[in-house]
Amino acid sequence: MSTALKPDLGDLKLIGYYLGKVLLGLGLLQLVPLVVALSLGEWNSASAFAIGAAIAVTSWALSDALLATRRALTWAHGMVIVALSWLLGPVYAAVPMLLSGRFTDPMHALFEAMSALTTTGMSVIHDLDHTPISEDLFRHLLQIAGGLGIIIVVLSVFAAGGARITTLYVSEARDERVLPNIIRTARFIFTVAGTLFVVFTTLLIVALIATGFTPGRAVYHGVNLFFSSFATGGFSVMQSSIIYYHSAWVELLVGIVMIAGTLSFGLHLAMWRGDPRDVLRHIETRTLTVVTSALFLLLCWGLVRAGSYDSVTALLRKGLFTLVSAASSTGHQVNVGDTYLYDWGLLAPAAIVAAMAMGGMASSTAGGIKAMRVGLTFKSVIHEIRRILLPESALVVTTYHAGKRRVLRDATARAAVIVLLLFIASYLLGIVTALAYGELDLTQAIFEAVSVGSNIGISIGVVNPGMPDGLALVYILQMWLGRLEFVAAFVLLGYLVALARGRAHT
Amino acid sequence: MTSRPPSTPVARTRGVLLAVLLGLVLLTVGTVALEAAHPQLDTSGNAVAGVPPLALDDEPTCRRFVEEAPIDDIRERLRRDAAVERIREDLPAGGRISSTQIYLCPSAYDGLEVTFVGEVVGELLPRRGGAWAQVNDDAYALETGPLVGHRERAGFNTGLSVWLPEDLAARIQQPGRPALRGDVVLLTGTLLRADPADGGGITLRASALETLAEPLALEPPLHVLQVVVAAVLTLVALASSLWAYRRRRG
Repeated sequence: MSTALKPDLGDLKLIGYYLGKVLLGLGLLQLVPLVVALSLGEWNSASAFAIGAAIAVTSWALSDALLATRRALTWAHGMVIVALSWLLGPVYAAVPMLLSGRFTDPMHALFEAMSALTTTGMSVIHDLDHTPISEDLFRHLLQIAGGLGIIIVVLSVFAAGGARITTLYVSEARDERVLPNIIRTARFIFTVAGTLFVVFTTLLIVALIATGFTPGRAVYHGVNLFFSSFATGGFSVMQSSIIYYHSAWVELLVGIVMIAGTLSFGLHLAMWRGDPRDVLRHIETRTLTVVTSALFLLLCWGLVRAGSYDSVTALLRKGLFTLVSAASSTGHQVNVGDTYLYDWGLLAPAAIVAAMAMGGMASSTAGGIKAMRVGLTFKSVIHEIRRILLPESALVVTTYHAGKRRVLRDATARAAVIVLLLFIASYLLGIVTALAYGELDLTQAIFEAVSVGSNIGISIGVVNPGMPDGLALVYILQMWLGRLEFVAAFVLLGYLVALARGRAHT
Repeated sequence: MTSRPPSTPVARTRGVLLAVLLGLVLLTVGTVALEAAHPQLDTSGNAVAGVPPLALDDEPTCRRFVEEAPIDDIRERLRRDAAVERIREDLPAGGRISSTQIYLCPSAYDGLEVTFVGEVVGELLPRRGGAWAQVNDDAYALETGPLVGHRERAGFNTGLSVWLPEDLAARIQQPGRPALRGDVVLLTGTLLRADPADGGGITLRASALETLAEPLALEPPLHVLQVVVAAVLTLVALASSLWAYRRRRG
């Protein structure tokens, strides 16, 4: 048996060189909470961020000085760099978290960091409601950096050429280039995020002040709410999440930002250019609309049949909000996790699980299988049925709209189905592991595994600070695989196997 | 005399990977050791006095539409319990319910008058006729104080959304914040499983309030060793960055 991968020291140098740049980005990111901590007198937090930033910057400096190379990036390099970035990033981000003393052990700090960067939004932090402001801000900053794509954020700023980092952009599970040039794509993403940040953070601050917040606290909550909502992350400033605000206006604004976050940047561009037809015809828009509408009906039926809620207001504010939070892969909660198990019956949680599995759109900040793949899989099934029903001589052509009218090809359909099946395998891994601990029932195990594996963050209560380390490790793996959508992880695995077997160049 | 065999590229590659792994292990061990060296506050004096015992000594669960029998069972137990009879009366009632018990079977407590003890955290959110408050009844509220400067980790915050009429809201001095435990209050009120005034949320509509503990500010001790390590590592980072810059330039 042979392998095409034959990594040598030159490959490792190249990989290390780019990983260093990612670590530099993470180090500089920590300067923001460091400054906030110093200004608020949170001295222990400040020293923790200084340590985290210093270690990251030193790692970059060493890689930059010792590993700089003009060697060109290949696709395999890109995949390995991205896969390792999403492993090393959380390790480095976990340093100040662990120093905060708010996590049970290193595994839980790593879980929190991975959850933040992959925009999953599950948390295992102790006593969030008394957490220093700088530490809380750091969690939210990690989410927006991860949501926009840590690679694209860092490398578009620090890397040399656009051609080199295109491979990294695509490797980071971003298969739709918005604009022909990768730097312009990155700039467009920043422009969209920046514009929405200004508009919606302002609106959130106004809504929060109207809700009873002081201006200073409104800014703090508004900024963090935008970060976690647009990144489709789902972390919250308070443990009670969105329940805390008791405001339909805040819920509405957060809902809009969540939807904006789950739209692909390609659709943002279409709307930016004033072309709503492109948005309406897009396969992902249609898939999301059809599936979430059907799931909303199922959810309402389940909640009404179980007697959970009997008013339209409750169905909208508790039911619809949760569905949007799930389908957008955000994970903001308007219900305490236990109530999904104990007060929602069976059908309603099933609808939420289905929405979480599908997730948002490709090339967005969202996670999950993605509406594109669900739509393509559905079209493939219809295509096969038509092919069987029509005469053998008939030419069956199935098309879909994604930026332009496209013919559904076997390779495209196969790729969609394979990733869909890999997501299901990831869910099964989480379910079996949770059940193996013997304290959970099937509903809890399924709900949490799908939420973690799709990088959603709505919790039924399995993820908590007392969670066993083994389960935390499997969930970390699920979050990582879900964010990378598997391919980059498999390439990394191939690299490691090649190295272990000594297939390096000699 | 024997000479060492030259290292092969494969061996060097594996050596580099092992060095990276070793570095990560050292990073983790060092971080854990530094966190373990954090000076600790004594939390023994932070427990709130006068907290009545829970009316139920366990946490019974029920699942809507799946196994509903326990709902009636819990209601029956509550009715039978003399302490819970006192919950229905004005303060000071003898028994109380925890937020965890409520979330494990919200239907059982729906419409009942209960006593609840917890710390007001975050902010009071005024509305016409009163204010919403988040009241936590976890260990940080009732036993150890906020998790700063000590290692009494007790899991997530748990609590209830509470509606306080204006006269009760006015008696809250300071909600909890970082390093500050807010007022700890004993509340009597009606528990609503799906409060229409809160979009269907689980709320406690308070009718009486007694302050059990005034706000408590904790001063976390400065972790001097961590500051020293931070200063040294910052200097190392600056020096290595300068070195990298010079090396790349020439």
